[in-house]
Amino acid sequence: MTLSAPRLSALACLLAGAAHAEGGDLTVFDWSGYEDPGFFGTYVEKYGEAPTYSYFGSQDEAFTKLQSGFEADLAHPCTDATRKWAAAGIIQPIDTSRLDNWDAMLPTIKEMDGISFDGETWMVPFEWGNTGLIYRSDQISEAEISLQALTNPKYRGKVAIPDGAASAYAMAALGAGVADNYTDMSDEEFRKASDFLRAVHPNVRFYWSDAGQLDQALASGEVTMGWAWNQTELNLIWNDVPAQMMRGEGKGIATWVCGYVHMANASATDEQVYDMLNALTQAESGKYIIENWGYPHSNADSFDISDQDMIETYGFDDPKALFDNSLFFDAVDPELEARMLQEFERIKAGF
Amino acid sequence: MIRLRSEASRGMALSAPATLYVGLLVAAPLGILVVYSFWSQTYVSIDRSFTWENYSSALTDPLVRHLLVRSVWIAALVTAATVVLAYPIAYFIAFRTRYKTLWLLLITIPFWTSYLLRVFSWKLILGFNGLMNSALMALGLIDEPLEFLLYNEFAVVLTLAHAWAPFAIMPIYVSLQKIDPSLLEAASDLGCSKIESFLRVTLPLTVPGIIASCLIIFIPTVGDYVTPALVGGSDGKMIANLIQVQFGAANNWPLGATLSLLAMVSVGLVAGGFVVVSNLMARRIR
Repeated sequence: MTLSAPRLSALACLLAGAAHAEGGDLTVFDWSGYEDPGFFGTYVEKYGEAPTYSYFGSQDEAFTKLQSGFEADLAHPCTDATRKWAAAGIIQPIDTSRLDNWDAMLPTIKEMDGISFDGETWMVPFEWGNTGLIYRSDQISEAEISLQALTNPKYRGKVAIPDGAASAYAMAALGAGVADNYTDMSDEEFRKASDFLRAVHPNVRFYWSDAGQLDQALASGEVTMGWAWNQTELNLIWNDVPAQMMRGEGKGIATWVCGYVHMANASATDEQVYDMLNALTQAESGKYIIENWGYPHSNADSFDISDQDMIETYGFDDPKALFDNSLFFDAVDPELEARMLQEFERIKAGF
Repeated sequence: MIRLRSEASRGMALSAPATLYVGLLVAAPLGILVVYSFWSQTYVSIDRSFTWENYSSALTDPLVRHLLVRSVWIAALVTAATVVLAYPIAYFIAFRTRYKTLWLLLITIPFWTSYLLRVFSWKLILGFNGLMNSALMALGLIDEPLEFLLYNEFAVVLTLAHAWAPFAIMPIYVSLQKIDPSLLEAASDLGCSKIESFLRVTLPLTVPGIIASCLIIFIPTVGDYVTPALVGGSDGKMIANLIQVQFGAANNWPLGATLSLLAMVSVGLVAGGFVVVSNLMARRIR
């Protein structure tokens, strides 16, 4: 095929037009730290600069801000929030045909409740991990550790659990044996889970709200057990603290998945938004987050191309094993969620 | 140039900026709060029909009562601790030193850093492997770190009392400063001992300063949020923490607005009652 002069100039115009969109025109509303350029290499290649980042400290804060009219193109919540965000009309469905890496996503992650519902896909999964019971392996033996140990009077003041109803109830549902129905518990199951949290309460040293606080408490021995994210386990391992996450069939572990949602009031072009989504889900981005952050990525291919020693250390050699037998943080029924929040405040106050 | 005829209109013109400011930044938000408290939340939207539901559920909820009582109790402890500790300092500055300005300056030093940093510093001091525990262990006084130092009411009271000390010292200092020395001379001429002249002359004359300090400390500390959130643990939570949950995780602004108003009414009642009682007592001392 030969290119005529007018065709060439048309192509040049097109290229110039595409390049005209500035990388910074795209606004991403994210947890702090996720502006790491290693996550979206191909976006920077194309637009010459990173997107503009704006930060939130918690999903609730992000929701309140977005509902009050804050404008962004992409945001980064987790699967337990998407139903609420969709109900509030602040996010729009994802067109999966425009996602280059959609077929490479880990199937279990892709099919989670918070990713697709009501016949639409709402979130592009990015990173995920476990939430589980992290304990000081030098102070509690593997035989002794269980979720029920949290209620043992022997560990008075030695326990830390998250100051978040969703996470605490996930733990309680596992501990009370009602996890199968976690997102839609019956009254009886809800009561059992609440009673479990009540039984843990006397042992709680503090309800942690930032992971750093928990990491330090576990490292110093102030607490010996904590319900926490896998990041805490890695931090402790990196600092040579004898601690690990309780794993094993039937022991009780949960899986969280976070990803990117397309805001309903996005002002950047769809092309730019999908370029960013495709950059984030590249296997190379996955390799970067696995090797530098120790978080598993949603792209199944990223595990093969990462440093295999690291993959083994972090237990990612069989990603499926990480979420088999685990409770997934799906969107809890709204009414149940409201009850969890109110009841959790009561439990924390000793009622 | 505009000439204002009457004194009244001149007064109005002078106070207009302040009125506007207070109206926009205090009265309007308060109005919004009142309106919100009569609405209700249904999942992600607000139902704007009038309801007493928020008030009835908040008032019958033992948790709300418990947290309101605890907030008032913690604030009262902070007020008492701060004023008792501040009085001798104010007395020293007013009567016992020539370098008053220097001392007053020194007292404000904690204010040169952010309040949040001061709360964090207390966390470092009182923590499990913090300054206090490390020091006591190094001295061999304890074998294991003390756990009652942090994450309870005590930590909240201590942190707040430290943070608010200057606010108590200043009003008491001013009222001590105003005392006419001839009154104290007269008391000693008439045979009063030092303690008697303090109790019968100095103390009654500084009651207005004490009341002012108490109010300045009590009113803001009832609604303090960040201190109980950081050092309170689960036993030191206060009403503001519950209000924050309603505006955050629970996403129930109407209930949050109701709780805020209830907290304001409680503070108003307790503070008003305190002023009446302490004025009556002051009259009796005299």
